[in-house]
Amino acid sequence: MKYSLFFRYATAGAMLLSAASCKDYLGNNLDPNNPQVVPPGAILTNLEAHTAFVTTNTIGRVSELFMQHYAGVAGQPASYDTYAIRGEFDNEWQFDLYAGSLADAQNIITNGAQNGPAYTGIAKLIKAYNFAFVTDVWGDVPYSQALQGSAILQPRFDKQEDIYKGNTALNIQSLFDLVRDGLKDLDQPAGTTIPTSADDLIYGGRLANWRKFGNTLLLKFALQISKKDPTLATAVIKEVLAKGSANYISDNADDFQLTFGTSVGNQNPFYSFNGPANNGSLATPLGNRPLEQMASRRFIDSLNLRNDPRLPQFYTTSPTNAAAVTTAFGIFTGYNNGSNAGIPAAANRSRYNTYIVGTSGEAPVRMLTNFQTKFILAEAALALNSGENAQTRFTEAITASMTKAGVPTATITAYLANPVNQPYVTLSGSIEHQRNQIITQKWIALLGNGYEAWNDYRRTGYPRLAPVDNPSSDSPVIPQRFFYTLTEISSNSNNVPNPRPNITDRVWWAN
Amino acid sequence: MVTLFQMALAQTRSVSGRVTDQKTGEGLPGTTVLLKGTTNGASTDANGAFSLTIPDGNGTLVFSSVGYVPEEKIIGKETQFNVALTADIKQLNEVVVTALGIERDTRSLGYSTQQITAGQISQKSEPNVLNALQGKVSGVTITNSSGLPGSSTNINIRGITSLQGSNQPLFIVDGIPISNSLDRTNGGSLGTLGGAQTSNRALDIDPESIESINILKGPAAAALYGSRAASGAVIITTKSGRNANKKLEITVTSGYSLQQVYGIQKFQNDYGQGLNGTNLTSLPAAGGVYGDINTGSTASWGPRFGTTPTIANGLLLGDGSLLPYQAYPDNIKDYFRTGHLLTNGVSLRGGNAEQNFILSVNNTNQKGIAEYNDLQRLNIQLGGNTTLLNKVKAGASVNFINSDQLGSAIGNGSSAFGTLVSIPRSYDLQGLPYINPTTGRSVFFTGTDNPRWNRQYVTTTSNLMRFISVANVSYDVTPWLNVLYRAGLDTYTDRRKGVFTPGAARVPTGQVLDQVYFRSEFTGDLIATLKKDNLFTDGFNASLLLGQQVNSRRAQTVTSRADNLGVAGFPNSSVGATFSNGTGETSSLRRLLGYYGQLDLSYRNYLYLTLTGRVDQSSTLPRNNNTFFYPSVSAAVSLTDALHIESDLLSYAKLKGAVAQVGKDTDPYSLATTYNVASFGNNVANLNFPFNGVGGFTLGDTQGNPNLRPEFTRSYEAGIVVGFFKNRVTLDATYFYQTSRDQILNLTTPATTGFQQRVANAGRLDNKGIEALLTVTPVQTANFKWDVTANYTRIRTRVVELTDGVTRASIDGNAFTGTIPSIVVDQPYGVIVGNKKATSPDGKYLINPNTGLFVPEVAGEIIADPNFKWQAGLTNTFTYKGVNLSFLVDTNQGGDVVSFTNNFYKSAGALAETGVDRDQPRVIPGVIANTDGTYRPNNIQVSAQDYWRSFGLQSELGVYDATVYRLREVSIGYALPKALLSKLPFGAVSFSLSGRNLLYYAPNANFDPELNTQGAGNIRGLDLQGPPNARTYGANIRFTL
Repeated sequence: MKYSLFFRYATAGAMLLSAASCKDYLGNNLDPNNPQVVPPGAILTNLEAHTAFVTTNTIGRVSELFMQHYAGVAGQPASYDTYAIRGEFDNEWQFDLYAGSLADAQNIITNGAQNGPAYTGIAKLIKAYNFAFVTDVWGDVPYSQALQGSAILQPRFDKQEDIYKGNTALNIQSLFDLVRDGLKDLDQPAGTTIPTSADDLIYGGRLANWRKFGNTLLLKFALQISKKDPTLATAVIKEVLAKGSANYISDNADDFQLTFGTSVGNQNPFYSFNGPANNGSLATPLGNRPLEQMASRRFIDSLNLRNDPRLPQFYTTSPTNAAAVTTAFGIFTGYNNGSNAGIPAAANRSRYNTYIVGTSGEAPVRMLTNFQTKFILAEAALALNSGENAQTRFTEAITASMTKAGVPTATITAYLANPVNQPYVTLSGSIEHQRNQIITQKWIALLGNGYEAWNDYRRTGYPRLAPVDNPSSDSPVIPQRFFYTLTEISSNSNNVPNPRPNITDRVWWAN
Repeated sequence: MVTLFQMALAQTRSVSGRVTDQKTGEGLPGTTVLLKGTTNGASTDANGAFSLTIPDGNGTLVFSSVGYVPEEKIIGKETQFNVALTADIKQLNEVVVTALGIERDTRSLGYSTQQITAGQISQKSEPNVLNALQGKVSGVTITNSSGLPGSSTNINIRGITSLQGSNQPLFIVDGIPISNSLDRTNGGSLGTLGGAQTSNRALDIDPESIESINILKGPAAAALYGSRAASGAVIITTKSGRNANKKLEITVTSGYSLQQVYGIQKFQNDYGQGLNGTNLTSLPAAGGVYGDINTGSTASWGPRFGTTPTIANGLLLGDGSLLPYQAYPDNIKDYFRTGHLLTNGVSLRGGNAEQNFILSVNNTNQKGIAEYNDLQRLNIQLGGNTTLLNKVKAGASVNFINSDQLGSAIGNGSSAFGTLVSIPRSYDLQGLPYINPTTGRSVFFTGTDNPRWNRQYVTTTSNLMRFISVANVSYDVTPWLNVLYRAGLDTYTDRRKGVFTPGAARVPTGQVLDQVYFRSEFTGDLIATLKKDNLFTDGFNASLLLGQQVNSRRAQTVTSRADNLGVAGFPNSSVGATFSNGTGETSSLRRLLGYYGQLDLSYRNYLYLTLTGRVDQSSTLPRNNNTFFYPSVSAAVSLTDALHIESDLLSYAKLKGAVAQVGKDTDPYSLATTYNVASFGNNVANLNFPFNGVGGFTLGDTQGNPNLRPEFTRSYEAGIVVGFFKNRVTLDATYFYQTSRDQILNLTTPATTGFQQRVANAGRLDNKGIEALLTVTPVQTANFKWDVTANYTRIRTRVVELTDGVTRASIDGNAFTGTIPSIVVDQPYGVIVGNKKATSPDGKYLINPNTGLFVPEVAGEIIADPNFKWQAGLTNTFTYKGVNLSFLVDTNQGGDVVSFTNNFYKSAGALAETGVDRDQPRVIPGVIANTDGTYRPNNIQVSAQDYWRSFGLQSELGVYDATVYRLREVSIGYALPKALLSKLPFGAVSFSLSGRNLLYYAPNANFDPELNTQGAGNIRGLDLQGPPNARTYGANIRFTL
């Protein structure tokens, strides 16, 4: 009896106790794995790397194929090289751009009060660069209503014209004004929250370089819309030129480029994809898809025709084989884009050389360079009355590119002076002919940056690239844009333009 | 005084006796002895004895015990009644274990459950208990992922209820929830493509240790378990000493089975390596040596075997020598070996209902159908129960499990099984070298791994130590009040090591991925049960259960990832050059407090009503929204009893019905948006931080939601149970309808919002179906019995809505662009969105007028629905004296599978069908668009190679109907007769032969379509070049001492 009595009270007590002790049992539900606040520098590092990555991963590879800088011989690159790109680039749209670098740039801007004007200024410039990238590639895209999370769940698609030029009625800030905003931030007293060499992978915290980048962005954007609005383009270019060469990229050391690393997961995407520059190590390939791409025969022929000393810097040489081309710079083996012909054996292929991929994947991704600036200014002098000498800028541009590619100064001087090369290095003939000369040289210089070469090609039609040998029925000609991606179509169905444009439809600035 | 006493005796008298089991002669405790027509009765004691005082005069005693045929005895002058009850043929009223370990008579249940006994799962040559259930349970879909040891098995009860959460049922062992997680290896940089197939953790339960499994099929059955049982519950009761009948019993079991690969494609053996009828191997390899087969094509579109070798067809090499060229018909089949499965077990049991113990040790050793794919499992169980003098009952059990798994990489691309599709028919896979003796690297076509090399050098090992411990104490405070406290801890540590040896095509520089998964779940229940019979009126019984539950789940995963291995063949992270990528720790803690109650009312054993309610308080929901209530009600009425129908034709009829709602919390840490270490890219190029030594963070792609509410699933079910011909024919059929609304989802948002997803309450998923179980005993004589059990399941799920403007979302964990398991509004759950061949308005394939091949595919189309139309299983059991023969045939009807494997083989010209009339040109049936908008039939001839290759890998032409009929299980057993045993030291001896997956017939697929490479989870219907299935057969022995 005693026992049972004891247990009766004990159980009753235990029930009360267990009910009482539960008050704080549930805890705070704070994520121990992922922080809710991080310093802006940690975001900037990623923002820069991500921006470089997207221009060089899938979209970089595809635009390199479109521009016949490189050729696809197997797998996806072979399809891309016939313009079969249906349903692709969702990852880039989602992960890399909108919910990637654009979201991170916006995040730094939104938390501007704690991040300081140096970081917000840089973030605005990178945001502008990436939004230009998105609209150049896809046309009309969400811009003014984008990046606001749950506040606007179905962002409107803004017209490309409004994105570049702004639209007060629709409350759309122009890309030009976004850059100017960024420059204004950079001109403010920077305070103590400033980027350093530890978190700014591109310019090591040198804000003067960021100002140069911002102004050069204005030049790039101006040229991009110059066909549609030459007046605005000229005004913007003159605005920048008036600031003097110390305020825009005017030296190879000023280049907006990001150097990659040599370890897996830190390497230049061209390297990660297509493997080493050195054919000798093909038995132990390091790339993930070492056999799917090789040199473009058309690009080899173009450079060979011009005796261009950049050829051996751009491509590796190959052993003698039936498909090889012998040049003054050695033997190269390329593949005609879109060809059905037999594919040269792996060991016989020319590939990107160290200029593009480095020896272990460390080569920089060059997004906006001195030579590009010079080419922009040459074209502006030629066609937009910027007041400069086109030939001077053209020569500077070629020299800057060759220098960057590692061609010795003496070789460059000799090349430019050689009468045989004058059709390629001296502007002559009609304005259109001269423009063709400029853009063709720019196209050569832009090896590795197919995006910018593609922009020029769509805007000017130069260089006069023939469509690949066997285009798919998606597009008989070099595509003018990408299809909208499936996730956006299915999740923002009310706003995606209807009918959806085909990849053969020109974007606004190319019309 | 004496006279008075005698007078009293004259009015009442005492009867007594003993009730025994007719078969065993053992006493039957708890038998009700009732004076017919009265409420005067008694129960037998532990030995089956009873005594009862009855009024003088005539009357009848009714002896009834659950599971036995009731007996009636006219009292007459007798005072001593010794009755032997015979077991009921059909236990329509068996006792089953329901939610929270409450034992209930099935006749009182208003919802659906199905009981599986030990005999149905033990000694079936199958170490994974879920596989052993295949084809046996109505309303349940079980799919194994492959025939490899330890590969996971998907189980869905009554279809899919959660759009994004787990749809696996809750697993309960001896009253406490245990983990059936997959803990999928996140294979370093390769995500789900990287590792081996991992096990679902229910694998850790040895089938030999299971006494019974009761499957609670819907929310109604599982309502007391709350949120986690929205997908049903699998209640496992392990063996104990309770039925050992005092003596010490030692049971020894042993089984040995063989396994063979099964269900792979039929291949052609007329054409070998090459393209366009030419072998491309003739070119010299890098070293100038001619005839290196690894420099040729991976396809089998080469010359016909026996063709005269020429320079042109590539069989005569540049140096004048002949290329060895012949068919290796079994080069794929011989990649696999005969697997072995050895199981041994000893179990000691003793005691009685009050004091008992069990100690059992079971060991499983499996060498799988492919080398380097093995499983070893050791189970040790120690348990006991006691009733103390003060009537306190206490019990405890400890289960220790050690599971070791070794597996090769799986999946599309360079995996041990994925590269099998790159073996030309003339490739001597077994005879040719696969490893370079100098470098240790793979010898194969460039850019991919030799399957033999990959199998050996790209592996994942898992070493798991697990304890499942339960303790309970209960006490009858008063005869009508019992208080029980039960605490259980399921905790395990799984130490995994994934190795990519340098040279592996997927990670060329090598990688060692060490991961420690720690999981621990504590559950404590305090339950008070109040019981009162004959409340208010005779025959009205009530019981009320009140309980409180504390549940806490901790998880921690520590990952160390070393890249750029400096020493090949030394799989230790110390030789890595890069460490930071993917290295880190993830931990979580979630807690739940539950308060629940269940009220059971019954009237005269034919009318039953059960009400339940539960309030949960979850740590994962916002503080102001973290408490939620959900009720259920179920009712059953036995018509035959209520209406006093006593007929040999209709022996039993019961109607049942239930309505239930269960609430659900969310995963921990879903409320806030957080930053992650940045990492982006894909399997061909990626970037991970730290980047050149600098850290980088990115705002997460999922926007948290501080305003989440719990989600609710509501279910309705109604059914009948009928028995005919003295219950020799019974049917249990249920219709159910479930709807889940306001689910907590990672809802796809347009990425243009800056986020991929946001956590939100949205969506609606409806689920309805029929499940039926039919049992028939066509023949029953003294020595021979034939039993038939058939089950049928038909489920329809439909995604009703997601959220405004969002029409589809991909299921988490999908691996492929272009073949995306998806949630699409107005479609069944899990349809696969991919590329469809373009068609003309009247549905004919559009053909390119220049090539004669298909025009490019249209992306974003629904190409496959992996949901079965219906499933059924049929078991026949014949018993003749000690011999027992049983076989199970089951079928899945409909349901699609996208087979990368088959499509690759087809495209490579390896399949048998691609060898037929290969030299004949053919025309793809389709139309060509004319410039005026009309269409003309395609008449362009293309080669067999172009024809077969044009089908592509991911289009709807690579989707196969997964309808399959299967001889799932056969077993023949023999138990030695008692007469013989009496001369031997054994209590019982039985032998059996068993076989699994012996035969299959898939009318619309040239392979076994029951595959699911992604393993258990919400992604179904993908064969991503995964490993094939296996056929098992073996012999088993069991004896007791």
